[in-house]
This record gives sequence, structure tokens and C-alpha cells, in this order.
Amino acid sequence: MITSPVKLWRRQKNTATLIGKKGKILQWTIIRVPAKSFMDQAPYPVVIVKMQNGENMIGQLVDWQKKDLIIGKEVVAVLRRLRTEHADDIIYYNIKFKPL
Amino acid sequence: MKISILGAHATKFGELWNVSPRALAKEAMENALKASGLKASQIDALFVGNMLSGILGNQANLGSLLVEELGAQVPAFRIEGACASGGLALHNAINSLKAGQYKTVLVLGIEKMTDHSQDEITNALMSAGSDEERLAGATFPGVYALMAQAYMQQYKVSEEDLACVSVKNHYHGTLNPKAQFQFPITIADVMRSAKIADPLKLLDCSPISDGAAAVVITSENIIKKNKKPIRIIASEVATDTLSLHDRKSFTSLSSVVEASTKAYKKAGLNPSDIDVAEIHDCFSISEAIATEDLGFSKKGEGARDIAKGKRTLFKGDIICNPSGGLKACGHPVGATGIKQIVELAEQLRGEAGKRQVEGARIGLAHNVGGSGTIAAIHILQK
Repeated sequence: MITSPVKLWRRQKNTATLIGKKGKILQWTIIRVPAKSFMDQAPYPVVIVKMQNGENMIGQLVDWQKKDLIIGKEVVAVLRRLRTEHADDIIYYNIKFKPL
Repeated sequence: MKISILGAHATKFGELWNVSPRALAKEAMENALKASGLKASQIDALFVGNMLSGILGNQANLGSLLVEELGAQVPAFRIEGACASGGLALHNAINSLKAGQYKTVLVLGIEKMTDHSQDEITNALMSAGSDEERLAGATFPGVYALMAQAYMQQYKVSEEDLACVSVKNHYHGTLNPKAQFQFPITIADVMRSAKIADPLKLLDCSPISDGAAAVVITSENIIKKNKKPIRIIASEVATDTLSLHDRKSFTSLSSVVEASTKAYKKAGLNPSDIDVAEIHDCFSISEAIATEDLGFSKKGEGARDIAKGKRTLFKGDIICNPSGGLKACGHPVGATGIKQIVELAEQLRGEAGKRQVEGARIGLAHNVGGSGTIAAIHILQK
């Protein structure tokens, strides 16, 4: 999957504003069969998070243990490398969530 | 205006490596035409439901390609709404008849998926989701798994209860010679199968399939020509947010509730009037929630009612997925919505063989795209 530099640049402006924002896990699952670009991270949880501003976000949970997978668990938005890119692709950083 | 089905045909569903997309489409269209007693030259337009030909096969302009196989240069339209592409194509075809633009049209649903690798398919199917879902590393099973988690917690439903959806649909599949899987499975088989996205396992998920289905519909009065006309008495579409996480509820699809409520009203029917339904069981959880959103079961009781046999052939009240559904019959995504109509037409005509729902008079087709982002509901009557 090749990322469009323009698309990434446009998106980054919003990404920066989310770092450090907190929320609580509303629902979770563990992805065991991902797309190839996420394969080296599997299995990994994907969570729906209720942010403090009331909005819902969906994201990957990182630095997790099984005990973190509970509804209501507090998480914080962090900047992480998104996935494994093609050799000549841009390295994509995106918001993921970390348990608190 | 009365809309009637003149002819209907579905190809075998499965891994059809020796068949090209063109040949698949031709087979479905030719046989639907033959069943209708019409020639290609008597068709006013072609509507094609397809999701992935552009992404997987690098083939856009599908309408023009497929009129070559039809053998008549009629106006042709490709309609896309993820896995509801077939239902949407039919809805648009019906609207064109109601508008008076055309009198008799052919509606084709087609998908060729097994020519491509699993990774290509996983990525292509996620095109039905949102950027946010893709960047979260979510997959389609993953998005439905989030619904399953919410449903199981909220209504104290077990993984075994959900497994009963697949067990029932595989049983029905054993009675359908066109189904991709014609063998039974047990609850233990489902529970033992590989985990895909918790709590969904491989046998909770519909397969990757090839297949095509076609129907010829008309607004002409055909009672004299056709002894057993099947009418389409309601056709409704509704949408919801593209992303699951933007919704108030993860345990009900408002697109399905809205489209089916409108369809029942148009048809002057209640959910209990439905004899047989083809349900969009892309995952086991989908059928459990669908039977509630359609009003067949009380909220929270959909999965348990399926486990009790209330949706099973020869013992249930409202029979769901006699074809085997997406799980056992197969899920060539753009073809599914039309295959459902073909199955219901056969059921209402009393021509469904071993899987015949006795005395079926009214059928409902439930076709869903994305994570419930779009739903098409059709009601058919004998």
C-alpha cells in the first residue's frame, strides 16, 4: 500500500492536535488476521475509545496486556509508526492508544 | 405500478477458477433470460451490482463490458454499495421502471474474488470502511467483532449461541446444490476453528467466493403470460454513518431498522407475515442482529431464537437463509443481493427442491453493505 504524500500531509495537521488526549475504552477486539502491512504487529487490539470531549475514536492499542482489555479502561493517544511500509513508501506515523 | 419477476438464475457459488468474470455474467444473464422467455433484444436496460472489479481486476466501465455478454447494446449501469451492491442495483432498476423510463430490465449481481490473494481481498473489502478504521488496523471481521463483543455483553449471549447461526446455515447449505459449502458443521467445529477477531472465529465468517445471479423484472402486466408471477411489493434503501464508532448503538443497525420499517409499511405487512427471509449473514453476529432489527425476534433474543431452531428449515416459524446464506452458499459480494432474490423467487414458486419452505407466500431479502452503512430491503409476494 503506497501512501499519497499529499494525503498524509493533510492528515498530519489533525494528528498533531490529538497527541496526549485521553479517553476510555468503549469496546475492544483482538485482530488476529490483519492486512499484510500490519502482520508483524498481530495479534493486536483495536479499540473504540470515548474521548474526554465526548467524541468516539477507533484505534490500535499498543503496549498492552490482557488485563487492559476492559470496558472503561483509561487510555491516552500517542504517536506511533503505523505499519510496515513498502521500501520506497513514506514512513507513516499515526495516533494509537496506550493504556494508563 | 406492479413490478414482477419474469426470470431468475444464480450460478454455482464457490472457487470457480476455470470461469472468467465475463463467462460468469453471461451464464447468469442467459439463463435468467431463458427463464423469462425473452430475448436480449427485448431488454430495455442492464443494471449491474458489483463492488470490487475496479479495485481487484482494474476493470471499471463494467456496464459497457457486460452488455457485450448480454448481446444487446442497451443502456447499462454499474451500481456500487459495498456488499449491498446487488440490492442497490435492484432498487435502482425498480425505480427506473416506476419512473416509466424502461419497461423490462435485467439486473445482474456479480463478483470474482478468488482470482486474487487473501491480502488483496482483505484490503479491497476494507475499502467499504472509513480511513479511520483502516488506519486503526481494523479488518472487516474486526469491525463486526466489535459488534459481537457489545452484543454478547449487553444480552448475555454466548459464543456457542452465535455459532448456531453458522451451524444452521451449513445445514441449509447441504440442501442447496449451488452452495459453496454443502457439508454440515457442529457447534464444536465453530468453537475449534481459528480465531480471526475475538470473539469471531473462521466458521463465524462468510467465505471468499465467485458467483453471479440475475433477474429479469418488468412493469408490464404479465398475468396472462405467466401463471405464477412473483411480485416485488417493496424496495427500500437506508444509510448510516460510514464508521461503526460514530454510532449510538453497536448492537442494532439503524439502516436496517429504517429500510425494513418503510418496506413493511409499503407492503402493508408485519414482520410476522414473512414466511421466508434471505439474511445478510456476512458474520454469525450479523444474522443475530438482523433478525432483531427486522422484527422477527425481540431485542437480545435473535441469537437464542436461532439456537432454539426458530429460523431453521422444517421446524422454525420464520425461516432464515434456506439457501445456506452467505456463510454456506457463499458471498461473492456484489452477487449476494441478487442471489437472495433468486432464492426467494424459487421459494415462492415452490421450486426450491429439498430446501422448500412449505407454503411460502411472502419473502424478505436483507442485503447490507459495510458495517451496516447501507441496507437494501426487498419484499416479494406470490
